[in-house]
Amino acid sequence: MTTDHNTDRIADVLIIGAGASGAAVAASLAEAVFDVVCIEQGHWQDASKFPTTEPDYELRRMSSWSINPNKRKLPEDYPVNVNDSAIEPVMFNGVGGSTILWAAHTPRLHPSDFKVKTLDGVADDWPISYEDLEPWYDLNDHVMGCAGIAGDPANPPRSPRQMPPVPLGNDGEMLAGAFDRLGWHWWPSDNYVNTTRYGEGRDACNFCGHNMMGCYQRAKSSTDLNYWPRAIDQGAELVTGARVREITTDSAGKATGVNYLDREGNDQHRQARAVVVAANGVGTPRMLLMSASEKHPNGLANSSGMVGKNLMFHVYAGVTGVFPDHEEPWVGPAANMIMSQEFYETDSDRGFLRGYSYQTGRGQGPGSVARGANVPWGADHHKQLERRLGNTVGLGAIGDDLPEEHNTVTLDDRLVDSSGLPAPKITYRVSKNSRALLDHSLVQGQKLLKEAGAEEVDVNRFSREAGWHLMGTARMGDDPERSVVDSNGQSHDIDNLFIVDGSVFVTGGAVNPTPTIQAIALRTADYIATHRQDLKA
Amino acid sequence: MTTNLDTNLLSAALDRVLPPVDDLAGAGAMGLAEVVVERSRADDRFWDALSTVMNALSVGEFLSEDGDGQDGAIRAVESSDPNAFTLWLDVVYSIYYMQPEVHKRLGWHGRAPQPEGNSMPPWDESILSNIRKREPFWRKV
Repeated sequence: MTTDHNTDRIADVLIIGAGASGAAVAASLAEAVFDVVCIEQGHWQDASKFPTTEPDYELRRMSSWSINPNKRKLPEDYPVNVNDSAIEPVMFNGVGGSTILWAAHTPRLHPSDFKVKTLDGVADDWPISYEDLEPWYDLNDHVMGCAGIAGDPANPPRSPRQMPPVPLGNDGEMLAGAFDRLGWHWWPSDNYVNTTRYGEGRDACNFCGHNMMGCYQRAKSSTDLNYWPRAIDQGAELVTGARVREITTDSAGKATGVNYLDREGNDQHRQARAVVVAANGVGTPRMLLMSASEKHPNGLANSSGMVGKNLMFHVYAGVTGVFPDHEEPWVGPAANMIMSQEFYETDSDRGFLRGYSYQTGRGQGPGSVARGANVPWGADHHKQLERRLGNTVGLGAIGDDLPEEHNTVTLDDRLVDSSGLPAPKITYRVSKNSRALLDHSLVQGQKLLKEAGAEEVDVNRFSREAGWHLMGTARMGDDPERSVVDSNGQSHDIDNLFIVDGSVFVTGGAVNPTPTIQAIALRTADYIATHRQDLKA
Repeated sequence: MTTNLDTNLLSAALDRVLPPVDDLAGAGAMGLAEVVVERSRADDRFWDALSTVMNALSVGEFLSEDGDGQDGAIRAVESSDPNAFTLWLDVVYSIYYMQPEVHKRLGWHGRAPQPEGNSMPPWDESILSNIRKREPFWRKV
């Protein structure tokens, strides 16, 4: 669906990227009667084409439906040089962005995550607090649709969830019992997965177990199903299959629009009174660096030199228990059913700062089990496969990844995308603090699984292809010399340029970031709507 | 990458990594070599991995080896290029584990996840009875 092609008009706001945050800004500003246009390099997705309806779904997940753009290699993807990175970024390019392939697990940052410098003496504080963001968290939950239950003792009180939690199933109940016996925290996870009918034309989950290859049922929330229909109903224009080359500026240094390649590869220019960058924590610094000019030789909005620096992922490790008498653990949405935040906050006795959350997972078909740990090829293969198939429960640790300036996104000297534009290069190494907290999580995770009755525990010390969460590369702050945008997402250098994705994170916490990204995007949209009427024609 | 693509060689290698079990033939004897080739042609990465493994195995020598000798040759490939070997093996596993006769032997439902899905008992709040007793412990700022 590509609407209006009046390329001569000057839009009020031009958004780069139609994913989690770009969609939220588009809907919010269109409803505030701004003239909105969005440029997206990918396309709309047809849920009937998702691979979970085909028997070769496990093979396709390694190729055309991989979460990794370097493996997927679709024309709308861009390659990423990961030769100097311990973690590979994963993402999806299309309307809905990475919400198409996400697990839709949606916890919130803790209040302490916004004040890490004050509390723990490392990294930096955010210029906003949890309380500042809370109204937009709630608004986003309402639009996306949250299954869960209020009352979690590890988090501040929150408003009633829209739907009851995802059922725990046999495996969840078994783990909950083990957490209880150890006296450790656990709570049903918040998930943007329908457990009842919710949203326009969206049924409840049918527990297929594989929603990270797109949700055929449309029960998993993604922004192509909610924010975008609202935005388009309110007049927003969404241009798909179009790749932005650069953000343009005038002699005064203000953003004037973008130059982009349309679906046929022709050069186009779109004018706008403001530009909002929503291209994720890798794509956004890439875009700002590609927009370098005589007036902005180090890239746009980069007088601080912070664009592309302080890249954070989350670090992941995991343990998998083998429970020979277990039944059907693959049933249920892949999204996390239980989260434990027993080890979330700093405890100086543990030997590291900050902490981690445990998440639980489902949805392993036989091909995936075969590819897992401790299933060898050859004579012992069948025995070990049978021991594990249908009999394993996984516990993943997602660790806080504190910002470090040497972890960067830059432009690669040689690698280019299918349009000839420079590809991003990631330089990233795992810190001692991150390694220490993961090691702690593996010891405690084995203890938990043994308590739950596991006969054997497989250990994955580190997950390389787990760079879902792309954060920190255009961070917010009050000091223009140490940050790229202010607390409203507005560039310190260019007052009509805004950034609304994970790039603006100052620290990452130990939870999936999308609700926070979307809450920030909605907050920035409200700021524009209420304080920047000068941007409206 | 050019490939030393001998179907007999590939079949023999498949029978070593996924050998016969019960009344089920090995992956090679099941005729999966052609499927592996066909699916690998559709993805450059898969094709390169297949080529690397096949080029590292000598047709004449491998086929004349006994089982232990063939396993040794495969282990040598695994050691010399673990990334290519692992990817090749992942493709082989994915293809093997989409075969109905394999599912039947495992007792696996064998259908695609959608559109049928699965059923689950509904959410039962009583499971929170213990954790609800815990006082809030999030760190105040």
